[in-house]
Amino acid sequence: MLLTYRHLGGLGVALWAVTILVCLFLLVPIVFIAALSFGSSQWLVFPPPSWTLRWYRELAADPRWLEAALTSAKVGLLSAALAVLLGLMASFALVRGRFRGRGLLKALFLTPMVLPVIVFAVAIYALFLRVGLNGTLVGFVLAHTVLAFPFAVIPIVNSLEGFDKSIEDAAVLCGASPLQAKLKITLPAIRIGLFSAAVFAFLISWDEVVVAIFMASPDLQTLPVRIWGALRQDLSPVIAAASTILVAFTLLVMAAAALLRRRISR
Amino acid sequence: MTPAFLSIRGLRQTYGSFVAVDDVSLEIPEGEFLTFLGPSGSGKSTTLYALAGFNEPTSGDILLKGASILATPSHRRNIGMVFQRYTLFPHLNVRENVAFPLRVRGQAEPEIAARVSQMLALVQLEAFADRMPGNLSGGQQQRVALARALAYDPPVLLMDEPLSALDKKLREEIQIEIRRIHRETGVTILYVTHDQEEALRLSDRIAVFNRGRIEQVGSGRDLYHNPATRFVAGFIGDSNFLDTAEVAVSGDRGRVVFPDGTAMADLPVHRSAPGGGATAAQVMVRPQSLRLAATGLPVRVLDVTFLGDTSTVQFRTDWGQEIWMRAGAEEIAGLSPGASAQLGWAPGESHLFL
Repeated sequence: MLLTYRHLGGLGVALWAVTILVCLFLLVPIVFIAALSFGSSQWLVFPPPSWTLRWYRELAADPRWLEAALTSAKVGLLSAALAVLLGLMASFALVRGRFRGRGLLKALFLTPMVLPVIVFAVAIYALFLRVGLNGTLVGFVLAHTVLAFPFAVIPIVNSLEGFDKSIEDAAVLCGASPLQAKLKITLPAIRIGLFSAAVFAFLISWDEVVVAIFMASPDLQTLPVRIWGALRQDLSPVIAAASTILVAFTLLVMAAAALLRRRISR
Repeated sequence: MTPAFLSIRGLRQTYGSFVAVDDVSLEIPEGEFLTFLGPSGSGKSTTLYALAGFNEPTSGDILLKGASILATPSHRRNIGMVFQRYTLFPHLNVRENVAFPLRVRGQAEPEIAARVSQMLALVQLEAFADRMPGNLSGGQQQRVALARALAYDPPVLLMDEPLSALDKKLREEIQIEIRRIHRETGVTILYVTHDQEEALRLSDRIAVFNRGRIEQVGSGRDLYHNPATRFVAGFIGDSNFLDTAEVAVSGDRGRVVFPDGTAMADLPVHRSAPGGGATAAQVMVRPQSLRLAATGLPVRVLDVTFLGDTSTVQFRTDWGQEIWMRAGAEEIAGLSPGASAQLGWAPGESHLFL
């Protein structure tokens, strides 16, 4: 390597500075929100004049927030399950299939990742308007499944590519039917990929707001939609409290996933 | 004709215009250890995979105890197989790997436990029953794979270059173990390898594959002493091929004149049409059949290499072909690069390929 960290000299210091600035840029707003959610000022004054749990109490007192959180969890879990199931089948086709246009199909599967979200949101809104799925749980889950799908396909394809097909063949010769071999041998062997896919897919849905705004109805709101709505009505520290809980839960899911992954791959 | 235990009849496998297996027929008695030997791409693995049911032959048939198995899907063929790559189920320990085929057959727990310990004893890995595959060496993994493939008492065991990923010393160790297991279980084994030494060490019979065809089937001794084709002669054991200028054949003996005018008579003749490659007649003689002689083929010494028990000497003929000899140190004591010599050999130990 010509360009090693050791030989950077003064540039090395600059690199550190940029890295720290980027980290701050990403983290400070979150820290601010968390701090404000515990501040006593109604007007989100910083630094807070004193500390309180009042906004969390208000949050808990309003059933609409709890309902939104439950909706988020429901949509997230259903979308993740659906995305992993479809992603698994798609991955078998992409990895094992030998057909024309395989590369093209893979690119198509990944488009929800690169397509501007607003374009997708408008498109699916228009479609669901015709079939009457707007504002329904089914519509919500379907829309989020499309968004989560590429994030499920990528880890499953990767782990399936790393899995030697001969192992499945061996299971078949041992007397397992091709389906049995997949269920009993291949799926457990690629379980880390499946697990990653599920976590990614869930998190994609969990904090998604653009498509969610289009899919939501007054009775069906996810947490990000509820935050967005509340923000437009009045700027209350309750929103900061809701946001903090959203972030905390996300961190919790990621930490639990990392721990579990280590245990599975032991 | 009463069918053999296992018979392969006119097996053909084509992929587009490529012929992978071209009219392969074999009759295999029960309990035989038969090796498919050949270079990569010669059709030996494709033939084995047809037996396993992983590819469907274009034409031909495979009969086990007189009944065709082609219509039976792989998982109902009850055939055992050890693969070239490590195929232990990564999330199951050794015991559960060996138990897997018994579990899918719905056997009772006590039976399974007994059979698994019997199999682990067979491959001498009882102490490793609770290990995960990731914590085993390559050799141990292949032995577990062998135990798993034999656990359900298959009539035929297929082995597709199972030792090719192991180093030489370990390979020889497991070869001895495979021979022992073959002896103890009496299972019919079809073994694929490109390593002639491995084939000679293990097999009752060897089928030499080349370009999708079987060139010759026979014991290692047969193939070595009486190669039917140029290819077999070149593939089994070491060999020299000498060009000829004139050939006269009477019966199964031939007389040749080499390009430098040296004549030699009484050479056993082989007519090898298929897959021969070269068209001109050639004389094959093994390096250890060559002797220094008073009158014979005039050659010049190129190089002498000391190899302990034996030495090898590289010669060049007057017409420019290189030929090498293997001999004891005292026989070649006087030779040094640049010297002239005369080479002879017993005509019966060489072969004339037309």
